Amino acid sequence: MELRSPPTLYLRLRRRVSLQRGKPITLGHIAELLIDPLWYDRLTALVLYQPRKEDGNIIMIDMMRIVSVVHQMEPAMRIEYFGEPHALVDIVTNAKKPSVLLFILVWLLLFFGSGLAIMNFHADVSMLEVQQRIVELISGQKTERPILFQIAYSIGIGFGMVVFFNHVFKKKFNEEPTPLELEIFLYQQNLNHFVVTEEYDRLQKQGDPLD
Amino acid sequence: MTGFRNKVIRLIEALVIFINIFIGLAGGIAVGGGLVALFIVLDIIPRLAQLTRSYDKVHWFEGAMVCGSLYWTVADFWDFKFGITWLTPILSGSIGLLHGLFIGLLAAALTEVLNVLPILAKRLGIVHYMFGLLMAMVLGKVTGSLFDWLIYH
Repeated sequence: MELRSPPTLYLRLRRRVSLQRGKPITLGHIAELLIDPLWYDRLTALVLYQPRKEDGNIIMIDMMRIVSVVHQMEPAMRIEYFGEPHALVDIVTNAKKPSVLLFILVWLLLFFGSGLAIMNFHADVSMLEVQQRIVELISGQKTERPILFQIAYSIGIGFGMVVFFNHVFKKKFNEEPTPLELEIFLYQQNLNHFVVTEEYDRLQKQGDPLD
Repeated sequence: MTGFRNKVIRLIEALVIFINIFIGLAGGIAVGGGLVALFIVLDIIPRLAQLTRSYDKVHWFEGAMVCGSLYWTVADFWDFKFGITWLTPILSGSIGLLHGLFIGLLAAALTEVLNVLPILAKRLGIVHYMFGLLMAMVLGKVTGSLFDWLIYH
């Protein structure tokens, strides 16, 4: 059977991938490909760029570079992409094992810090007076130390925070994302957006630094 | 002459009453608006609606906030007291719990926790332990509060 003309390559670039230091950036690593099986293996292994030390830890691969490299291999190939026309590559060295000592230190810091913060908050808003007033309105008589009210209040603080964060230790209450996970996600998104914009600015000013 | 003087005095009294009402109203509007703005900014009601899956009943929550603020303001100024002795421990305990729950939600929603903790954990490389650190904060606040009421005072 004769070879037909090269088919169209459909690409969807991944937003952010990590790569071990020293390894080259291949097309299959940063994108999902849809193409005739004849071409698949060659395109997946196609090297787009070999990172150098001067490039830093984050490298952005733009569609233009992919098109130029693919056309070097097969000039007649048509390329179509979905989604963002760029992918970020993180160069990682071996993952540092999280230090247990640091964790314990930070744990103690947060423990005592929040305790102090809540005590300061109480003093700031004169909570003792307010609580005495509330208990006076409930019970009809003045109490100098409304102990029951205060103990229930303290336990309530714990419950309130846990309810807000949607889980106790590792067990979640429902499958919706907790606010903390959401915040991390948004932070990561902002970072990516910033890096991409910065890299595009650099491309504009200096020409393609990857050439 | 005296008739005219009396009329002026009554006019001034009426004016004073009107100014009292007006300034009081203005103050109330400012404080009430500020309170609601605080709750909106901290996302407490949307969060609670999400947890209880009662998005369509949010106006009930608004009503609860308004009625609660109104009742307790008036009760505080005019000394509305219950005095039912057998009900007092139950009421005291449950209102205390609700009070704590609310403050806990408030404390959790503050920017310090929500924005600083994830970024801090990411910078120090301890993201894996982040939920443990969260527990540190929660336990810290509970212990701090208990210490405050039982020992410090």
